[in-house]
Amino acid sequence: MNKIMIIEDDPHIREELTLLLENEGCIPVPVTDFTDIPGQAALRAPDLILLDIGLPDRDGFSLCASLRKTVNAPIIFVTARDSCPDEVRALSLGGDDYITKPYSVPVLIARIKAVLRRSAGQEDPDILSAAGLTLHLTRGTVSAGGRTVELSRNELKILSLLMTHTGEIVSRADLIDALWDNQIYIDDNTLSVNMTRLRARLEELGMPDCIRTRRGMGYQL
Amino acid sequence: MSFREYVSDKFTGIMIRLICAVAAALFLLATGTRPGILLILLCMLLPVSAGMLLHDFFRRRARLKELNAVFDGLDRKYLFAECVPPPKELYERRLFDLTRRAGRAMTTAVSDAETAGQEYREYIETWVHEVKTPITAARLICRRLNGDIRQRLTAELARVEAHVERALFYVRAENPDRDCVIRRTCLNDIAAKALQAHKALLIQSGVRVETEGLEQTVYTDDKWAAFIIGQLLQNAARYRGKDPVIRIAASPLGKQVRLTVADNGIGIPAHEVSRVFDKGFTGSNGRSCGGSTGIGLYLCRKLAGFLNLNLRLTSEEGKGTVVTLTFPAKESLPDEILQNRK
Repeated sequence: MNKIMIIEDDPHIREELTLLLENEGCIPVPVTDFTDIPGQAALRAPDLILLDIGLPDRDGFSLCASLRKTVNAPIIFVTARDSCPDEVRALSLGGDDYITKPYSVPVLIARIKAVLRRSAGQEDPDILSAAGLTLHLTRGTVSAGGRTVELSRNELKILSLLMTHTGEIVSRADLIDALWDNQIYIDDNTLSVNMTRLRARLEELGMPDCIRTRRGMGYQL
Repeated sequence: MSFREYVSDKFTGIMIRLICAVAAALFLLATGTRPGILLILLCMLLPVSAGMLLHDFFRRRARLKELNAVFDGLDRKYLFAECVPPPKELYERRLFDLTRRAGRAMTTAVSDAETAGQEYREYIETWVHEVKTPITAARLICRRLNGDIRQRLTAELARVEAHVERALFYVRAENPDRDCVIRRTCLNDIAAKALQAHKALLIQSGVRVETEGLEQTVYTDDKWAAFIIGQLLQNAARYRGKDPVIRIAASPLGKQVRLTVADNGIGIPAHEVSRVFDKGFTGSNGRSCGGSTGIGLYLCRKLAGFLNLNLRLTSEEGKGTVVTLTFPAKESLPDEILQNRK
């Protein structure tokens, strides 16, 4: 599990981030004492640091520079200031990414994961397996029981989203939301069409009732 | 100042002098001065006073020319009185003193107003950045609510954000060179950024978004361009019709790139189209749908001006609106903007 240090002076955001990262299966390390942060970081040895630029006493830029001397973990700047010079400065001081407030939660999570993967030298996972299905993301195919079918871009994304949340109910709204994050801009009707097509594909694999519709709630794999 | 103007200005004085000369001549004639002597006297006096008049005219004209040259060379005209060589004549000197004092009072007032405006802008900018922290906290808290309420609250928060963003760009448009950085960017990234920012509004409005040919390279400031497209998306969602579709398409146009954002919304009445970019103009749609500030498109045009973007809007009532953005070729951008590249 990844240890993520949260350096953020707003107590509400700190608490919510702590909860959020816990739910995502990380170990959050919120900082509440803003003295000697580099020392604390060296002690706790986090895998990643979320750093707010507007801190009391000291600004995040100089803090980043001194953090770089004590720890190797990647640093993601999180800030309300979205001017270009700030971004350039943050990245040149050793920041690994730069996210501006207000951020959307899925985007934040996705970028944290991307930075963690990069720092661990991993590639994006290419194969997902769940509920008896195997999904090849780069090839765009799904297979089960020795049979394989090809999927369209939208079908692929929908199935991969359901597969990463196996057993959970994913609401249509959440599904549309997540698809938009992946630059697939579909509306409610188009989602229904894509869902029907996806089910037809899965039927070809001999798994017709793989995706269940939970009336009024969403879909479940 | 022409000679004629000068003479007509001095007319009374000249007339009085002439009348006095005639009266004196008559008096001398009556008291027994011989006409020959009188003629000699007049022949001596007239050229002298004419000469004095001419000298005065040329002197004044030269002075005015000098003052005009100083004025034309000034960047801030209200500093005129400070930069003028002091006059020699007592009367003119007094006048200048008065003008200078008036000018100083004005300079102080102007610089006070400038400082106040600058401080106000800085405060707004700080405020915008500060208000983003509670919005972020609210967003994070929202995540724990159940479906329907979360969707609705997220959409309201997105509206707050859109207002805040407009305020920020309103301030930025006052000092464009401080924040505008022209970079090589893919149009797809700009469109994705704008769509991401207004995701909640667009999804909730049931809009279908179609994109085509966005794999073009443009030279622009991605944040500003995304803001402009974001305003267009918001308008398209707000003034939507049945089965709303927004189509974002791009195609090269010589060395330029043309981007169109088209919707099938309620459109704009023909007589209002020419005024949509005016500050504070809300139009009949804005009044009937509510929530229009008349700032969005005004800012779009202002920012587009800095980015050398050509912005054009056509609309047909009941059919939809098409906005065309033409991104400039790299060569046509002024050097001073490109030098900002990092």
